[in-house]
Amino acid sequence: METRPLKDALVTAMLPHAAFDGWSLATLEAAADDLGLDRAPLPRLFPRGAVDAVAHLVGHANRMLEADLAEAGLEGRGVGEKVFLAVKLRLDRWAEHKEAIRRATSLLALPQNLVLAARLTWGTADAVWLAVGDRSHDFSWYSKRATLAAVYSATLLYWLDDESEGSADTWGFLRRRLDDVRSLPQVRQKIEGLVSGRKAALGGLAARFRSPVPRC
Amino acid sequence: MKTADNRIPGDLDHAGLIDRVLRVNQAGELGAVRIYQGQRAILGRKGGKVGPLLKRMAEQEQQHLDTFNRLIAERRTRPTLLSPLWHLAGFALGAGTALLGEKAAMACTVAVEETIDRHYARQAEQLGDDEAALKDTILRFRDEEIEHRDIGLEHGAEQAPAYPLLSAAVKGGCRLAIWLAERV
Repeated sequence: METRPLKDALVTAMLPHAAFDGWSLATLEAAADDLGLDRAPLPRLFPRGAVDAVAHLVGHANRMLEADLAEAGLEGRGVGEKVFLAVKLRLDRWAEHKEAIRRATSLLALPQNLVLAARLTWGTADAVWLAVGDRSHDFSWYSKRATLAAVYSATLLYWLDDESEGSADTWGFLRRRLDDVRSLPQVRQKIEGLVSGRKAALGGLAARFRSPVPRC
Repeated sequence: MKTADNRIPGDLDHAGLIDRVLRVNQAGELGAVRIYQGQRAILGRKGGKVGPLLKRMAEQEQQHLDTFNRLIAERRTRPTLLSPLWHLAGFALGAGTALLGEKAAMACTVAVEETIDRHYARQAEQLGDDEAALKDTILRFRDEEIEHRDIGLEHGAEQAPAYPLLSAAVKGGCRLAIWLAERV
């Protein structure tokens, strides 16, 4: 049986409760009661209880992102703009449940959940890159996701404490972080420029170590 | 029969199997392209008779790589984490055997292509009717790899110095690379 729609409904129904009571088995049961569902199958749907529910919520949010992006329209935007929009939509959809998301973040910050938290962040970065149509097939697949995971988690924390109208401050923060990332290649070029300035000196040094075998 | 239909507990499911198949094949074709690049860097310049042959085989491998690059993006497969390693190791293997001479380069080609032939045959066996397109692609590529093997044999692979040793080493390396690229 396909359980995903049921689990989607359950975690969504948990949100208003979680804002007050946190993520727990009691919250899950309250959500089931709200939906008029039997409590009996809950442990089978979420074997590890609250942690599984949070993990499912993240997956659910990642899946919704694709539809949200398609609705917003991506044509004619640059990659940076697409990623900005994707992260914004990813967070914005849950704006009214900020408190519940904060409680979820605290649960994931517990030491025993660190691996899961890292995996979920990676999954979100993956979902964003896929949604904006990334087709990389080499090492950049990893560097893109790692960079975005860092930007996304910083932005998420900023967003949780952002009281500004429509989280406007967060989007400014996000834009600055993405600009930082985009300036990384320029930093590399600068370093390469410095290095090539010393090339003569380095070349002389390298010549000493070249080929132990005499060339004929 | 469908893909992964007759699996037993502990075997990969359909998605897991496709994930592995695409990752290892993309990595393998990347390695192959680099092997030919390495060989051509040594042998291509001399303008010998193998130059144009290597060029044609390299072009075919590039086509295979392009296909799998496209497929892993389409099927949302994680590419291998070790691509920098395949990049270096492939070139080193190609250039290294080419330095031992034309025949050693051909021996390397034969050993690699033989392993790939068996690898593709095994994959095609695992894929069912629901993955007919992928299966056809793999079988078509396999035919071209067999062709490369025959070219290698025609050009004196077996007369290479220490052929059994060289061949066994390359084959063992390829099998290890396949095992790694499926997983990492």
